[in-house]
Amino acid sequence: VRARGTWVTLGTAAVVVAAVLGLGFVVQRTTLNAPSQATLAAIRSATWLERYRLVDSTITLGNGRELHGRCLQDWVVDAGRRRRGAILRLNDGYELLAVPPHTLSATGGTAVTQAMSPLVLMELAGCPRVLARRLQTLAQERHGLRLADGRLSFALKGTRLTLALAPRTGAPVGITLVAPTARGTSRIRFTPVTTQLRELLGVSGR
Amino acid sequence: VATLEHAGSVPLGLRRADESARRLRAVARVGGWWVVGRAIILVTAVVVHNVGPTGWIRLVSHAHALGPLEAWDARWYRMVASDGYVLIPGRQSDPAFFPLFPIMLRAGHAVGLGYTTTGLILSNVGFLGALLAFYALTRALLGESMARRASAYLAIFPFGFAFSMVYPESIVLGLIALAALAALRRRWGWAAVCAAAAALARPEGLFVALPLAVMAWDQRHVLSPRARGVALGAVLAPVAAIGSFSLYLGSAIGDPMAWSQAQRAWGREFSPFGFVHAVDGLGRAFARDAWVTRDVIAVVLYLVLIAAAARAGVSWPWLLSSLAIVVLPLFSGSFDSVGRFGLLAPAAFWGLAALGRDPRVHRVIIGASLPLLAAAIVVLPLRFP
Repeated sequence: VRARGTWVTLGTAAVVVAAVLGLGFVVQRTTLNAPSQATLAAIRSATWLERYRLVDSTITLGNGRELHGRCLQDWVVDAGRRRRGAILRLNDGYELLAVPPHTLSATGGTAVTQAMSPLVLMELAGCPRVLARRLQTLAQERHGLRLADGRLSFALKGTRLTLALAPRTGAPVGITLVAPTARGTSRIRFTPVTTQLRELLGVSGR
Repeated sequence: VATLEHAGSVPLGLRRADESARRLRAVARVGGWWVVGRAIILVTAVVVHNVGPTGWIRLVSHAHALGPLEAWDARWYRMVASDGYVLIPGRQSDPAFFPLFPIMLRAGHAVGLGYTTTGLILSNVGFLGALLAFYALTRALLGESMARRASAYLAIFPFGFAFSMVYPESIVLGLIALAALAALRRRWGWAAVCAAAAALARPEGLFVALPLAVMAWDQRHVLSPRARGVALGAVLAPVAAIGSFSLYLGSAIGDPMAWSQAQRAWGREFSPFGFVHAVDGLGRAFARDAWVTRDVIAVVLYLVLIAAAARAGVSWPWLLSSLAIVVLPLFSGSFDSVGRFGLLAPAAFWGLAALGRDPRVHRVIIGASLPLLAAAIVVLPLRFP
């Protein structure tokens, strides 16, 4: 009789625990909004961008001209202090150093790239932090994101961006940019950062 | 027979009338203190809205007279209520905020109220309910005079401004008290519901499991096997409730531990040496933001009050659960917000009530609490609670 009582006690406790677990889940599931697919895609893309600090790109500008770019997000020494910034290099000799909040210096390049907005070039080159931050902010605010046919669209400071996402991984593989004064597309590839690469890019010497 | 029945019913009726009158007086007394505390907070919030300081709270929080009460974390609760959860790795995100309060905000919104209005009503009216439940629990455990003082002190406690913000503290305190009351009265089904709901509103709700476990053990000989099972279920209900949150996060955003991950972005990561880090990093924390002093004082105050409760004979499960509420957050490496977390430690207020037995101490507590409560609202725009 005593053993039976113990089983009744344990069985009843299990039922109560299961009820709390099940009811709690059902209440949350039925009352709270689930994030949209666009929000989840933005978070996945941002995670890819944050994971890789180096992005290689092939950019096609509106006039059909093709450029190769490499954007590295790293610690750089700016005005005697180590800060997080981005270095963008294009194969036409253009080099951009962007260290928030005040430093934005561009050197070299052709007349075409010099005439373009640095932000537009950074976006097209897939500079990770610029894109990741915007995606994270929009995901958190749950607005301004549109997902259709594996393409994620959003606005960033006057530019309209569309990321083409890899079907299986959700990683951004292409960028289409439309701005009032420029347009272009790019294909991007994430590259692991190595010490050798950093030295090649001249980051350690800055 | 008729005479005997009549004779027996008179004292019973009188007793019931006495009991009703006593309850009415208790409600009036507790309600009176609630009015005093909330009036100070609401009036000061209106003054802050009109005169300042502006502080760090967003412009939107200055848009109406009670704006400061919907600042800081209230924004996150509103976001969860309106849009649900997302976890943004490495950034502060909303799974750190438990779901019961946002669900209640949604319920208010569904009947036509704004999220902020719903939150302010829930917190402030909920606090009246919480005070009454806390009074009843204290009376059952420690007697009438302790219950009177403890509920009065809680109503005007300086950190208690959080009970008027769009935060879940009022609801959690009420649920903790109701869970324990239900357990004392052997209504273990209700105890399970309240304990689970408390844990679904804030992680501190988990710690009510300890007093419930001891009550269940004490009642084991008078409960039937099935009732014992419900009691055991009630003890485990807070863990199950947090499990249901994990289950939901796993299904909605693909990460069952998102609530724990999100805490890390706030600099809260539990480790065995977290307490050492919290104390060790106090100098740096103070250099960065001197307001941390307020939370350090809160920790010391709560510990002193829990010690006073121990001296007053409060039972060990309550002491231990209250101690856990105050001390465990320090193992995340930070003193931040402990002043608010400690509001859910009942033993601290029983300790305060024990100290208040001395009429001079009683006057000091009342005299200090009222201006400090107003001051806490004045500085609310400068530092998160």
